[in-house]
Amino acid sequence: MGELVKGRLESSLPGLRGIVADDKDQEHALVTREGPTKGDAEIDQLYAEAEDKRLLKTSLLLDVLNISNVLTDGVSAMVDDSFNKCFTSTRPEPWNWNIYLFPIWVVGVVIRYLVLFPIRVTLLFIGFNALIVVFLLVDLTLMPSKRKMAMQRKLVQWMCSAWVAAWHGVIRYHGPKPTPGKNRIWVSNHTSMIDYVVLCSYSPFAVIMQLHYGWIAFLQKRILSSLGCLWFNRTEVNDRAVVAARMKDHVNKEDAIPLLIFPEGTCVNNEYTVMFKRGAFDIGATVCPVAIKYNKIFVDAFWNSRREAFGKHLFRLMTSWALVCDVYFLEPQSIQPEESPQEFAGRVQAMIAKYANLRIVPWDGYLKYYNLGEKNPGLIEKRRRVLADVLRAYLGKTSAAPSAMALAKEGKAAVELQSDGKGQKGAIKGGVLQGWQKLCAGGTVHPV
Amino acid sequence: MGQAASGGLTQGDVDEVIAASKGVFNQAEIESLYKRFRALDRGHKGYISPEEFLSIPELSINPVAQRLVRCCECPNFTTFVKMVAPFSPRASREDKLVFMFTVYDVDGDGFISREDMSMMLKQLAGSSLSEEDRQDIISRVLAQAGGAERLDFPAFKSALSSADLGNMVVEIPVDL
Repeated sequence: MGELVKGRLESSLPGLRGIVADDKDQEHALVTREGPTKGDAEIDQLYAEAEDKRLLKTSLLLDVLNISNVLTDGVSAMVDDSFNKCFTSTRPEPWNWNIYLFPIWVVGVVIRYLVLFPIRVTLLFIGFNALIVVFLLVDLTLMPSKRKMAMQRKLVQWMCSAWVAAWHGVIRYHGPKPTPGKNRIWVSNHTSMIDYVVLCSYSPFAVIMQLHYGWIAFLQKRILSSLGCLWFNRTEVNDRAVVAARMKDHVNKEDAIPLLIFPEGTCVNNEYTVMFKRGAFDIGATVCPVAIKYNKIFVDAFWNSRREAFGKHLFRLMTSWALVCDVYFLEPQSIQPEESPQEFAGRVQAMIAKYANLRIVPWDGYLKYYNLGEKNPGLIEKRRRVLADVLRAYLGKTSAAPSAMALAKEGKAAVELQSDGKGQKGAIKGGVLQGWQKLCAGGTVHPV
Repeated sequence: MGQAASGGLTQGDVDEVIAASKGVFNQAEIESLYKRFRALDRGHKGYISPEEFLSIPELSINPVAQRLVRCCECPNFTTFVKMVAPFSPRASREDKLVFMFTVYDVDGDGFISREDMSMMLKQLAGSSLSEEDRQDIISRVLAQAGGAERLDFPAFKSALSSADLGNMVVEIPVDL
């Protein structure tokens, strides 16, 4: 029972202070596993724990009027929250601030913007357009055949290489080169759309992408479709079954080009990694993880789609000295018999996070686009229900549902064991757990 | 201090904000709060709208999120700092109590009336608490807090005299 509780406790409870995995926990955050969504009983039990302890030294008056805890939770989230951390770029220290370095920096800027950039753009323009023309020729003139597909893939690979050269990419690939295989799917962490280009210039991949607008859409539809790329709209992706079916279809094809999935679903800043969606892990294929780590030394490759247009992002890349990055092709993983797809996703995420030195954060990347409280009112209701139970107890009534406190009594013993194991950091993942541990032990909780 | 000039914040602004928040924050914390303000204020309008606050996942699932966010209507930076000020470790207990009272006093008339308490209880305890139970609780609380029909600040303060507000502290992350 203790083991089971431990596994569940590792799943962090959103909405509470201390969810930030602070620096002290970094090494353990790297091997933090993503837990499945928590069961009702579990949440009730833990909340009731806390309320139970508080109840011992409080009164109706205080319970109703003392709203300091919820307020502190709220204001703490206003001041800093672990979700937005994943999408901020740290500004690099300016190094050009003295009389000796400044002129050198100015010379550098002049070279980058006035010499390198025009050269790169011209070469890219010529090279890329030439390749597009050749591609369209091949597309229109040759009959569909294996040879045609092979040629198209080679052309796309060259096109991506042209782009990588335009950014002066210094990319190191580690691990065995991917080969197409039946029932295999590749997953990677996501920092920018250029992830795909970086990978594709080495070995061709098909990908499931958000269909964009403008010139990117043209590229996507005409050229990438030849690779077998699959399109979706974020709204459509809610229909998991459709995407899953398409994925299964693809990986079961005979000479399927390797399919690449970004389970995070959104671009993250290459320091953190958000929740891996379980779609790619649910189709019964072998998963080959790929970890991409950008070195921010010359340019920050994170594309913050909320703040930057893609064009501006490309401009920034093309006016920097180089784009440095490491790509790790990791050992293929299969789902274990007792593992759920979500747990499998978490395990693969831990592998990728280790190689790319990322901190794992339990939020869903799509929270960028929707309000969590609105979509999941159940989460708020659970917290409210606990206080409601406590207040009703003052009136001498018990709640309708099996009392959370009764459950708490049972779980208390098991949780007590966890409180003792405070020394073992392995049992404590991230600030939230510390918060709960302290709360369960009756101590005060300070936001981490 | 190692940070490039926080875009748009002058020393004069910092001094003004420190004065407005009764000096509980030092310069580094103000700079950090400013960065946060800028990050939340998409489009650089100069204030943060309720939707932008509620896009913070941890805040959106807070039971009193709606009340908190409407408590300071579209705060500009100074108001934002004033809102966070009671949670500084250097803030006085009085400041914390004043803030709690302001949040609780929904209609802002300086008294916590039955209606105020009813609204707050709806946010805090949700719909699983029946209307009848709620009224019952409110009556009991008012009785225990001195018997008046509504609470003014001194009554609120003395009701919470035994409350430990030591946990009402928020740490501002500061880059060193």
